[in-house]
Amino acid sequence: MRSTTRAHALCRPDSRARTVVEVQGLEKHYGPSQVVRGISFSVREGELFGLLGSNGAGKTTTVEILQGLRQADGGSVAVLGLNPRVAGDRLRRVIGAQLQDASLPERMRVGEALRLFASLHPSPRRLDELADEWQLADLWRRPFGALSGGERQRLFVALALVGRPELVFLDELTQSLDPLSRRRTWDVVRRVRDTGTTVVLVTHDVEEAERLCDRIVVMHEGRVVADGTPPAIVSALGGATTVSFTDPDLDIRRLPDLPGVDSVTRRGTRVDVVGTGPILAHVGARLVDLDRPPLDLRAHQPTLEDRFVDLVKETSR
Amino acid sequence: MTAVTVPLPDARPTPAAPARTAIRLAALELRLLAREPAVAVSLVGFPAITVLVLAGVFGETPDPDFAGVAPSDHYIVGYVGVVLAALGLITIPVRLATYRELGVTRRFRASGLSGPVMIASEIILGAVLGTVSAALVLAAGAAAYGLSLPKDPIGVLAWYLAGLACFIAIGGALGSLLPTGRAASAIGNLLFVPMFLLGGGGPPRDVMTSTMESLSDVLPLSHLIGGLRQAWLGTTDDPHALWWPVLVAIVALLAALHTARRRAG
Repeated sequence: MRSTTRAHALCRPDSRARTVVEVQGLEKHYGPSQVVRGISFSVREGELFGLLGSNGAGKTTTVEILQGLRQADGGSVAVLGLNPRVAGDRLRRVIGAQLQDASLPERMRVGEALRLFASLHPSPRRLDELADEWQLADLWRRPFGALSGGERQRLFVALALVGRPELVFLDELTQSLDPLSRRRTWDVVRRVRDTGTTVVLVTHDVEEAERLCDRIVVMHEGRVVADGTPPAIVSALGGATTVSFTDPDLDIRRLPDLPGVDSVTRRGTRVDVVGTGPILAHVGARLVDLDRPPLDLRAHQPTLEDRFVDLVKETSR
Repeated sequence: MTAVTVPLPDARPTPAAPARTAIRLAALELRLLAREPAVAVSLVGFPAITVLVLAGVFGETPDPDFAGVAPSDHYIVGYVGVVLAALGLITIPVRLATYRELGVTRRFRASGLSGPVMIASEIILGAVLGTVSAALVLAAGAAAYGLSLPKDPIGVLAWYLAGLACFIAIGGALGSLLPTGRAASAIGNLLFVPMFLLGGGGPPRDVMTSTMESLSDVLPLSHLIGGLRQAWLGTTDDPHALWWPVLVAIVALLAALHTARRRAG
């Protein structure tokens, strides 16, 4: 566990890292409907970057444009220094991709798929190593149609990595997986990032984005509504902290003067102190000063999911 | 659980040139089709059985209703065209539409398989399937009823290649236009059956009504079968203008490319 954490720390990108994806004012229409509305963001080398949004937010369209699978109607895009619109085939040979709702022929065997995809790259991974790494060796002769959901996802990730890509796109990787397979797949994504590959993870799952991503862009109705690390997004949006404890006899007028406190409310024996900044520390210190240290002092901070829901509601108005 | 140990390749595959990739993909697709019994039935089984029945019913005696040739020769040679029609109207479009519907085409494109490589692979696959199927039908007919050698082998080859191009292009156009494998199967059969019956695979032209004849005149299959019969047997009552299937091939190819580009946008 310790080594994994260290590996994460080693691979975490810093602000001096090279930009591998640059998107400026990207627009896309499907007929009269505008699905991407002038979005801008960038992805740095070595980052596990999340594109988070509800269904229909424009995430998949955006990454399909980044891979040159769709053409933008406006704005500019550079991926590994290439314009996907004019160098799509060249670009797709140096990136890896796991696509939402993509598939393989039902009767194509695991080994056949790996061999075919490996043949497209100038310096592919050794297939025996790759198969071992993603637990595909025992499935080598099994047709794609006979694979379980988790086995298919492992195969798709292996196919995305077979060409030793610098950058890999993973679109709704854990969709329709059971909780156990989902956790395993998260480990898989961390392992990909730990090898130094830049990962763009597209997801509608807030927990997934929060647990995995170094940085996220939140999209809603074709727009970017937030951009930053998950904790930064939570705090930048002014999330209030609620400190709660039980004390039936405390005079709550002793608390509102503490720094950062906005309100103090008694609900029966429970006291809720709402505010910003390090109010847990201030409330705890005051209660100790009053010689009334509580046994159940707790702080509740808004989660990324709370913030995501708030953002979606705000931008939908 | 029993673990199956399979020897894995330990050599790194070398990067392939586009032509090699197209051949490799076509070879793989051929293996996949060989695992689909339904494809063999629709592509070879139906034409082979039909030609054996029709040739058997009408016999091997030269007949004026069949432009003065043996009905068995008339049908056996003509069914080379029927095989190509089945390929272009059913096999290719069903496969292409199913691939697009399931996301296989996107998966391939996202992995660096370029559009031209996939098109080249389809052409190779179509050519191999068409040739093998046509050879099997000819072999079955010749074994059962005998078959004279072609009077104009170069002409037969030219007509065969024109027919192959025409129906591979039609298959590409239908496969890119139709939204799903089921739709491709339904529309393909709807097109194939009348084209097969009126285009030279069914009753001889002499017994058709004038409306049937008019319809037959515009079908590319009529011209392909007429041309094959003319080149192989030296005579035919069917229309046989070589430019017609070639023109249909060009229009179908443009339609396929236009649709593919529109979908990609």
